[in-house]
Amino acid sequence: MERRKFLGLSVAAVAALPAFLSATDFRATKPDAWTAKTVDDAIKALYGTTEMIEKDVKVKVPKVASNGGAVPVTVQSNIPAKTVSIFQDSNPEAAVMTIEANEYSIIDYSIKMKLKTKADNSNSVVTVVVEGTDGKLYVGKASLQVALGGCEG
Amino acid sequence: MAMKIKAKLKGDAVQVKIMAKHDMLTYDQAKKKGTEANFITHITAKVGDKVVFDASTSQFLSKDPLFQFKFKAINGIKAGDKLEVTWTDLKGNTETASKPIK
Repeated sequence: MERRKFLGLSVAAVAALPAFLSATDFRATKPDAWTAKTVDDAIKALYGTTEMIEKDVKVKVPKVASNGGAVPVTVQSNIPAKTVSIFQDSNPEAAVMTIEANEYSIIDYSIKMKLKTKADNSNSVVTVVVEGTDGKLYVGKASLQVALGGCEG
Repeated sequence: MAMKIKAKLKGDAVQVKIMAKHDMLTYDQAKKKGTEANFITHITAKVGDKVVFDASTSQFLSKDPLFQFKFKAINGIKAGDKLEVTWTDLKGNTETASKPIK
C-alpha cells in the first residue's frame, strides 16, 4: 500500500514538471552511444537493438564532398518519430546527433558535419535511424567520397 | 559568440535556419593544438514554452554548425512569435538568442 502511494506521488510529480524539461539530454542518458566506435555499437547503445527496417528514411548527401569539414546532410521521413539519429563510419566515433521529436516535428533536417577521409579511401556511409512512435527502428543510408577530411585540422 | 537565426512561416510550417558560431573543436583537433576539446552538446529551440526542436550533438558537427529544420505551426504558433534558441557546449558555456517568426 505504501509503495503504491509512493508511485502515485512520483507520477504526479513528473506530470507537474514544466514543459521545457521534456528535452532529453541523450549524452547524459545514453553516454555509451557517444563513445561507440562503430555505427552498430552506437545504435545498440542508444536503442538497445540493431534490428531495423530499411525503408522510408531518405538521406541526401553530395556524391563527393570537397570539404570534409562541412558535409551537407539532409534527412527526410514521413514516419511518426520519437527520435532521429545520425551516424557515420569515417570518424573516430560514430554518433553525430540525436534529435528528439514531438508533435511539432517535421522530419526534414539539414545539417553540416565533419567527415574524415577513410584510411583505405573508400566511401563514407551516413546512417540515419528513425525511432518510430510504433517503437520500431527505421534506417536509411547514403554514401559519399570525402576528398578532404574534416578531422585533420 | 553569436548566433544567426532565420524563421519563416510558410503554409502550416515554420522553416528555420540556425547558424551557431562555435569552433566545434574535436578531441583529435584539440590534441593537435594542445588545448581541450569543446563543442556544442545540446541545442533547443522553443516558441514560448513549446519545444519545437531539440537535439543532443557530438563533436562531428561542422565548425559554426548549421541546423535547418521545419516545425508545425500548431497550438497557436504564428508569425510574430519569438523563436528562442539555446545551445550548451561541453565546457558548460551556454548562449541564447531569439528572433521573431516572419
